Order: sequence, then structure tokens, then C-alpha cells
Amino acid sequence: MKNFLSLVLVLALGGMIILSLQNNQYFTAYGEVDITKRVSESYIDRDVNGGTQAVEFGVANNLESGPANIVTAIVADYRSFDTLGEVTVLFVSSLGVALLLASGKQKRLDLHFHPNFMLRVGSRALFGIILMTGIFVIVHGHLTPGGGFPGGTMIASSILLLYLADDNFRTKVKSFKTLESIAGSLYVIIGLVGLFAFDYFLVNFLDNGILGELFSAGIVPIVYALIGLKVGSEISGIIDNFLTEEVA
Amino acid sequence: MSAVLLIAIPILAAFISIIVKKWSPYMLLFVSFGLVILLGYLPFEIITIGGFSAPYGISLVVDNYSYTALYVVNVLFFLVAIINVCNYKKLGTILLVSLAGLNGLMLTGDLFNLFVFLEISGISAYIITTTNKKPLATFNYLVAGTVGSILYLLGLIILYNMFGTLNMQDMAVRIAASGATDIEVALPFLLMFIGIGVEAKLLPFNSWVKGILGHSNKLTGPMIAGVYAAASLFVFGRLLTEVFVISDTFMLIISVILAFSILAGEAMAYSSTKVREILLFSSIAQAGIAVLIFVSGFTGYAVLFISLNGFSKVVLFLIINHATEVVGSDEVIDLKGLFVNNKLVGASFTATVLSLLGLPLFAGFFVKMGILSQLFSSGDYVFPAIILLSSVVEGVYFVKLLTKLWYKEDNLPQVKFELPLVYLVVVISLLLVVFGLYFEPLHEQALVLVNHVKGVIL
Amino acid sequence: MLLYAAIILMMLGLYGILTQRNIIKIIISLNILEIGLNIFIISIGFVNGGVAPIFTGQNNLGSIGFVDPLPQALVLTAIVIGVGTTALGLALAKKIYAKYGTFEIDDMKGAE
Repeated sequence: MKNFLSLVLVLALGGMIILSLQNNQYFTAYGEVDITKRVSESYIDRDVNGGTQAVEFGVANNLESGPANIVTAIVADYRSFDTLGEVTVLFVSSLGVALLLASGKQKRLDLHFHPNFMLRVGSRALFGIILMTGIFVIVHGHLTPGGGFPGGTMIASSILLLYLADDNFRTKVKSFKTLESIAGSLYVIIGLVGLFAFDYFLVNFLDNGILGELFSAGIVPIVYALIGLKVGSEISGIIDNFLTEEVA
Repeated sequence: MSAVLLIAIPILAAFISIIVKKWSPYMLLFVSFGLVILLGYLPFEIITIGGFSAPYGISLVVDNYSYTALYVVNVLFFLVAIINVCNYKKLGTILLVSLAGLNGLMLTGDLFNLFVFLEISGISAYIITTTNKKPLATFNYLVAGTVGSILYLLGLIILYNMFGTLNMQDMAVRIAASGATDIEVALPFLLMFIGIGVEAKLLPFNSWVKGILGHSNKLTGPMIAGVYAAASLFVFGRLLTEVFVISDTFMLIISVILAFSILAGEAMAYSSTKVREILLFSSIAQAGIAVLIFVSGFTGYAVLFISLNGFSKVVLFLIINHATEVVGSDEVIDLKGLFVNNKLVGASFTATVLSLLGLPLFAGFFVKMGILSQLFSSGDYVFPAIILLSSVVEGVYFVKLLTKLWYKEDNLPQVKFELPLVYLVVVISLLLVVFGLYFEPLHEQALVLVNHVKGVIL
Repeated sequence: MLLYAAIILMMLGLYGILTQRNIIKIIISLNILEIGLNIFIISIGFVNGGVAPIFTGQNNLGSIGFVDPLPQALVLTAIVIGVGTTALGLALAKKIYAKYGTFEIDDMKGAE
């Protein structure tokens, strides 16, 4: 009975949403978007503050926002405040996981499994490759797809690999906490420097350089590196919390 | 000073406090007290973040509305924190983050940023409620809250597709300029209404409330029923006054939902025998009344109502949850005669309840009178009838509760209240009486708010 | 069509949340709901014939016709927030299992 009622409710809600989207003259259908009617156009043209310079790859110098990756320009520059909030969400949920699961002295969860020589060496080698990929993705976040969040997750996944390949392995959680705290604080402090020295919180106060070069986009690569470190250490902390148990 | 600091300082303190865990309770007290002081130096302005002006960048809005809301939330937060900080030292960092989240909710002028802060404050609320030691109830809260924020985001994205902006004021301007009828924005509006309704405890969407507040302790009760309830209602008011204008078609749906919420809340409170449940069901009804006042357009009175309600709920939940922790039960029978040996606390409780009911001589009276007279003069008779009916039911069960709690018998519950708690509840209830006698300042503030909102609305 | 597929996915997730009585299955349903929403957000920004919103040596001018970058930025935030809630939900599930010895809500004695 309850299942049937839920089914009716869900069908009604879904049908209502689809029908009202279909019959709405203001709702643009899939693929027929006109970007000029949205705020995004200015993120592409970089003319929020009235810039008139043509945005050309490898030529345009010191635009109002420097990343060649437009999504990065939005995430780490135009709407950087959202990203600070996002980092805080991840921070508070990793704290919550630690509060729930890591009370008292912890030991590794017994996986009933002993790694042989090949697995140990192979996982160590893979660890290095994954870590390097993660760092590459973070460093090139303003030029290519990726950035702090995917890169940080890659770093955490390399830690996860070590955890899964060896059931005696544990990282130093304490040092991860320190790293997380320093990276997060620096992010806020960069924002506060912007506020006190340049009037706006989280303003991009360094030179933006030439669009598309590795050393460009002002504070964006710095912020993304901090985010990458923070996300990596937070998710590694969560992994550690889930793969350990309290010493009885 | 800039209002960004109200968000940046708690977040920075939270990030630092995980290295020096021992300091986190003191940092919490220091920061939350500091923010209350800083609030006095807050200029009214629209703050641009990152140097990109609205609607492209994110902006924070400090106006009469958000200023009042910030004051209420920060003062309440500080009071709840100072009472509880010794018992819940581990939660220092979480509370700092939740303070930042709540301030962000009050300040932000961007709809997506609002979602981010909704999640920050929501996730910290889930963690705070784990101190109830009822993980299943917390889990239900998490699921309900997450579904709510997903629905809010769905509505927001549909709006973005239709009008191409995320900024609140720009959204209102573009909706008006496009000439879209209320039917065409009905879907995103209802989705966002439901999404925030989950947090604000409106009735069909609040299955989580009983599990959380019915087993609340001295921290979670005042925090969720007082601070968070006030914050989510303020967010409601922001959306209802600045982004959406309610027209007749919506009005019907929403008033049915609200009337249902109010009357069912009061009915459940009436039939409950547990003190905490009586309080939580009555706060469901009160949330409904607050939104009802917002949709009728009397923002000033709604703000006053929410503020008084927030303070009252903090007092009531602090007293009852302390007694419950000592006695080990929240049945009315077990707490019978609670105030016979604690006359001062009992007097505060009584004064707060009477103010909540809207009796003369208490601050709540003027608010309720003001609302009713405004509603009557605008020619509406259904809403006043609902409010009056709910007040009568409320009166009956609260008076019943009070007589039991004051009842003198042989086997009195042995409850001692600590001094800080006593001071706090006495001061708040005294203020309720003082403002009841000298209502003019509050009334002026209400009129300022009303005028302000009329200026901004479409 | 992708829009409607995303809505259907969301409704599947919602149905799961309403009907399932197992903690882990509820978390999975919540994730399905989130993923449906994320696909919806992404599809809002798609432009027919548009390219990925990154300036490169080939796509070197703003007039080329990028897809809308803003929904992609929003979905990044939504994904991260989803990860946070899922992690917290799983931690709660572990706690619930430690307390009641089961993931089935109906089998938990004295839970409410």
C-alpha cells in the first residue's frame, strides 16, 4: 500500500515537472540555449567589469579573469565564494565522519587478506603514477579540464589504493589534519588579504598574465592548489576513518 | 568593517581549530561574542565579492531585514553556545562552521550561494543532532534535509534556464521584465518552497522533526528549534519578499498547506503527553504562522514574530531539556511540580509561554495584535480566524501544562538549575515583559522594516 | 530528451527513498536522486554544436559557440556537496549498525 502510494506520488510529481517544463514558453528546450540571454556570456567574454579586450588564446593579456578554462574562471574566480563554501561543506562532513567513527584509539579494520610481493610493489608503483596525475590535474586546473576537486580526489584515491592493497597500512592522520587546516586557512587568508588590501574579499590581486600560459590567471592556480591539498587530505581522512575501527 | 567577516572569521577559526583542538570551545565563544559586537559596526550596503558586481559575482546584502535577522541569529547562537560549551567541547569546530553557515544564509543575495550555505548549516546541524544519541533519527533528518535541498536546487536550475541569472534581485527584475505569469514560475517556486519548507518544519515535509526534537538535549533543542528555525524562516521571508510575489493562484495552494500545518501542529500538541513533543508541535504551528504572515505581506510583523518566537523557544527548550536530562523522562506526569522548588525558573517559563500565547503585558501581545489588526484591515478574514483558532488551542494546552508543572504534591522531581541557565532565562523573560510594557521601539522597527520591503518589492 | 531522462532518474531515486527500508539502499537512492539532478543541471547548459568551454589553440575565440559554462561550475559544487552528505550518511549507517546490529529499519528495536 505504502509502495503504491509512493509510486502514485512519484509519478504525479515527475509527470507534473515534465509537463510543465514542456508547456512553458520561457523554458528553453535541450540544446536550444541562447547564451547571450544568460549571465554566462560575460564569463566567456570576460567583460563583467567592462573589459573590451578581445579574448584570444595566447594573445590576450591581463584580462579581468585569467584562466583559459572558463569553468575554472567561474569556480575559482567569478564565484570563488561558492567554492569556499563548498570546501567548508567537505571540511565539516569529514569532521562529522571523524566525530562519529574515530573515538578513542583506532586500529586497521581486519580485511582477512595478506598482500603478496607483486601486489605490494605494484601498488607502490601505481601510487606514484596516480599521485603525479593528481598533481598534474591540479596544477593545470586553469588550462585543462580538472582542477582542485578532481585532482584532490585522485590524490585521495592513491591513498585508498595503499589502504586496500595492504591491511597493515595506515597514514599519519594527524599530519593530514595539519595540512588540511593550513590549506583551508590560507584560502581564507588570501581572501582576507584581498579584502583589506584591495577592497574585495577573494579578489584576484595578482597579474593575470597571458591567457593560456601555465603561469597565468593570478591567484587561481594558487587557490586551486590549496583546494587540491585540502580535498585530498580530507577525503584521505574519511577513507582512514572508514577503514579503521576502535581498539576494543 | 565588511559583512564578509561575519562568514570569513568563523570559517577561518574553524579551519585553525582542528590543529589546536583544545582551544576550539574558547574560540567558539570568542568568535561568536566578537561577531555580536562587530554587528554593531555593520554599515548597510551591498557587498561585492571578488570585485565582480552583481549579477555576475556573488553579493551579500546588508539591509534592514538581514541586519535584524543577523542580530537575532547571532545573539541566540551566542546564548545557546555559552550555556552548552562546557558539555560539548568536541563540537566547537562544528558550531563555528554552523555559525558561518547561518550568517551566510542571512546575508547572501545569490540563490545558488544560498544553496551552498543551506548545505553548510544543514550538514553541521546533522552533526550537532548526533549528540542526541539517536543515529536513526539523525539519519532521517539527513535524508529529509538532503531531499529538500535537492528540490530547492532543481527549482533554482529551472529558474536559471528560464531567466539566465542566479542573483536574487536580478532574478526578480528579469521575471518582472519577461512578463511571465505566475503559472509559468509556479513549478520552480513550489519546488523551492518545498525545499526550504523541509528545514523550516512546515507540515507535510517535516517527518524528521519528531525524531530530532522529541529526543533533544540542552544543545540540540534550543539550537534546532530556536536558532535554526529562526534562520530558515528568515530565508523564507527573503525569498517570498524579494524574489517571488505571491499571487492569487499560489495563495490558495500555499494557504491550504499553511493552514494544514498550523492546525495539525496545534492538534498534535494538544493530544501529546510529553513536554518536548508539546513544544515541538507548537513550534511547527508557529513556523506555519510566520510563513502565513510573510505571504500576507506584513514582513515587519513576521520578523518580530520570528524573533520573539526564537527567543521564547530557546528559553522553553533549555528549561525543559535540562529537567528532562535530570529526571530522565519528558512525560508531563513525571515533571509534575517541577517549578514548585524552582520558582524563578518557573516564573520565566510562565512569562515566556504567556508571551508566546500573546497575552497582554507581554511582548507577544503586540505582535499578535498588530498582525491581526493588519489582516483585518486588509479585508482578510480567513487568516485571522486560523491564527485566533490556533491561539485558543495553544492557550488550552499551555495552561494545562503550566498548571501541572506548578502543581504542588508530595513527590516533587528533584531538579537543580545551574546559575548561568537561570540568569539567561530570567533575563530573556524579563526582556519579554519589558518590551511588553514599552512596545514602541519594537513597533518602530517593524514599521521601518515594512517600509523597507515595500521599497524593494517589484 | 536528456532533460526528461534526468527527471525520470530523479523520480526513481525519490521512489527508492520513499519505499526502501534498508539504510544502505536509502543512501544509494539518495545518490541516484543526486546524480539525476546533476545530469539535469549539465543538460541545461548544452548548446547544439557547442564545444567544451575551454580556450585552446583551436577554440581560441569567445565567439566560437561554447556550451554554457555556468551549469558546469554549479554541478561541480553540487557533486562535492553530494560527496559530503553521502560520507556523513555512511558514517551514520556504520554507527546505526554498531548500535542495532542491522541495516533494516524494521528490525531495529526501540529505535524511535
